[in-house]
Amino acid sequence: MSNKSRKEKHVSFKPAKELHKNDYSNNYVHTGSLPQKHVSNIDNTVEGYPKLEKLFQMKGEQVAQYTTTPFGCKVDIDQMVPTINHWIQKEKLTFDVVMIGCLTNNQFIYPLLTQLAMDKLVSKPGFLFIWASAQKINELNRLLSNEAWAKKFRRSEELVFVPIDKDSPFFPGLDQPDHSLIEKMQWHCWMCITGTVRRSTDGHLIHCNIDTDLCIEKKGTNDGAVPSHLYKVAENFSTSTRRLHIIPARTGKDYPVRLRPGWVIMSPDIMLDNFAPGRYRSEIEKLGCNIPMKNEIQNLRPKSPTQKA
Amino acid sequence: MIDIDLVCFLKENQLGLVALPVLGNLEEICLLYAIDRKIRGEDGEGYTFERFVEVLKRISEAAPGSLKFKNDCLMAEALEFIDETILGRLLLVVTTPYIKYKPVVVKEEKPKLLLDRLTGALEDKPDCRLTRHNLLDQLRTSLDVVPASVELGKERVQNTGSIAEYIPVCANRQHAMLLASYVHIVNNKIVSLQSAKLPKAESYSPRFIECLQSKIHYVPNLKPQTDLSLGDCSYLDTCHKLNTCRYVHYLQYLPESLKTKIANETKQTNNKLSSQRAVPFYVHGNCCSDVVKSQLPEQWIQCDVRKFDFSILGKFSAVIADPAWNIHMNLPYGTCNDVELLDLPLNQLQDEGMLFLWVTGRAIELGKESLEKWGYEVVHEISWIKTNQLGRTIVTGRTGHWLNHSKEHLLVGLKGNPSWLNRRLDTDLIVSSTRETSRKPDELYGLIERLVGPHARKLEIFGRDHNLRPGWLTVGNQLTGTCIHEADVKMRYQKFISNRKADLAKKRVDGTPCRKSTNAFKLRQ
Repeated sequence: MSNKSRKEKHVSFKPAKELHKNDYSNNYVHTGSLPQKHVSNIDNTVEGYPKLEKLFQMKGEQVAQYTTTPFGCKVDIDQMVPTINHWIQKEKLTFDVVMIGCLTNNQFIYPLLTQLAMDKLVSKPGFLFIWASAQKINELNRLLSNEAWAKKFRRSEELVFVPIDKDSPFFPGLDQPDHSLIEKMQWHCWMCITGTVRRSTDGHLIHCNIDTDLCIEKKGTNDGAVPSHLYKVAENFSTSTRRLHIIPARTGKDYPVRLRPGWVIMSPDIMLDNFAPGRYRSEIEKLGCNIPMKNEIQNLRPKSPTQKA
Repeated sequence: MIDIDLVCFLKENQLGLVALPVLGNLEEICLLYAIDRKIRGEDGEGYTFERFVEVLKRISEAAPGSLKFKNDCLMAEALEFIDETILGRLLLVVTTPYIKYKPVVVKEEKPKLLLDRLTGALEDKPDCRLTRHNLLDQLRTSLDVVPASVELGKERVQNTGSIAEYIPVCANRQHAMLLASYVHIVNNKIVSLQSAKLPKAESYSPRFIECLQSKIHYVPNLKPQTDLSLGDCSYLDTCHKLNTCRYVHYLQYLPESLKTKIANETKQTNNKLSSQRAVPFYVHGNCCSDVVKSQLPEQWIQCDVRKFDFSILGKFSAVIADPAWNIHMNLPYGTCNDVELLDLPLNQLQDEGMLFLWVTGRAIELGKESLEKWGYEVVHEISWIKTNQLGRTIVTGRTGHWLNHSKEHLLVGLKGNPSWLNRRLDTDLIVSSTRETSRKPDELYGLIERLVGPHARKLEIFGRDHNLRPGWLTVGNQLTGTCIHEADVKMRYQKFISNRKADLAKKRVDGTPCRKSTNAFKLRQ
């Protein structure tokens, strides 16, 4: 190599002095490449943190170890309230984790919340997750912040789910009214806590700060109508084994509602209808209401919030 | 003479003939009719296409409106629509003498309701799959239609809005590790790269050099104390203990040449784009003198927002407010409490337009209530996805109460029904890295400027010095001094100040103790 070309080469690789920062919003407007696509840890959110990776793996294994049979309960939307009320009154069933709704628009959440004996369905302490469009959550705001409701269920976090692109089954495509100011690209979840739990002392009930309040869709997970992340957040947070998911909406045949071990899923479109309260009760009796503590997990999980540097 | 068989054939197959795959093509209908005749055991001999067209013409003349041809002419050789009812009536007229149970037939021929027709299309027919899919597809396509205003707005922004320098980031971990052994780091800065060793690296990882010359890389800043098995530092580039921290930190590497190249290209494109600003005929939502008008420089007023007279400022198209919500937090600056915030007269700032309100945690509901109180409807929620140096979402370190927080919420309130907005150019997500505590991403300014146009009046409340920006007026108590260019605002502001001075002087005369240094304002041209 000649001296001159070597010098040129050296010059061409000389590092820039100033840092560069991309504007992904501007880039989207000009190229159509969505901002969320540039997030670099979508596939493995805890990339680069071996301790957290280990924790996620162990939590996943332990949750899978303590599960009831996956139960489905195929019920028409208008029969949901009577069915659940029957469970509460006659079968004496309660759940610690109740998730309502999924990532679709035509959901009948309001009638469900107002007609169900929610405080009897959700035990204390218990956790309620309501998934819907941001608009819907906003409409529910009035109900959920009225005094009677807020006394029982304290709003604790607002979660967001982001579809990866416009071809995603979770892209809120039909939720774009013509008068919309910007394109909608997210689903929201209202996480409520009922009863008393303390993050410092109730490690047998809850594990805080494992997941974050944001999830970006992973491509190719083949989840059907409900992304598995929605379940995982609840599973990682609460150690309870009694979990119920109510989907008050028709989700159609293109994306089926799959069963999930450890959950009772009620939906008009669930793939299997095998729920029997008696069998469920006996399974829970055998399993216990909470996943037991495990030292390795206790050591790994974030226990108190890190002081800001 | 009318061919009754053909009329019956058309009537029975009225939907199928105009749908896919036939689509009303006369030649194909002729063929299908010939097959139909054959099935019924009739002689198909001598029945030519010309004769078929002739017969069709006769039917269409005998019963006007029964057959609609494409472009209203028989030469188009395609049928667009077959009216079953009119054909039925024609059949009735032609065959009446031979039919005894006329009333029954009439009853059957009642015009169908739209719903019946639609469900009729869904009935089980041999080609039902096809039709159903057609229907769904049609529904989907009609729902997917984007208003022309949106399409035009997008096109205009793409052809006239300036672009920002964009350099992709390399996602290949191997490249980063390779680079770590070739860079020379002094004082936590990359000072040079051993380019002579690059060809060797190319053999480990093909196209390495090409990647190096076109993308940003994050190079591990390996120090004697670094323990690779611990993984990455939670704070990365914001870590205060760079010289003792045992976790891995990174340094951004991009060649100077690449940066200059991109800068030049962007500059050229922007010159071209700005020269095109006068071209589009689509001027909706822009100022009428958009092209010749120059943008106002940044303006700011240092004041205590709680005691400020907002009527000085006039009306705005867009307002950003980033209040320091008072939620059990020790922040390095004064916070005003939630009630004081609610009591701010923000209802005065706009007749119609948008207010963007940053909220956190508990303030989400309070923010929504405030917006409603000020006369706004909460129409959107923008999420700022907070990323770190490496473009990853923040999953450690900055913990929330129950879950870690990797996003922040921005409520979008809309007042009135402004027709001058450029809708649906952006999405409700901003992906941007975090900076100083509570400093919000600059991407928001671009988003708003695209929405309301570059010359609309824009206000930021609770702004700090780093929020100053051309085209914007910033107010807040942490700003340095005051600078107003708009003559009317300046006049009202000076009046406000002199009134307040007079008030203070009066109070002093009355013997009431006054607060210190409220007149530390400096008016700059």
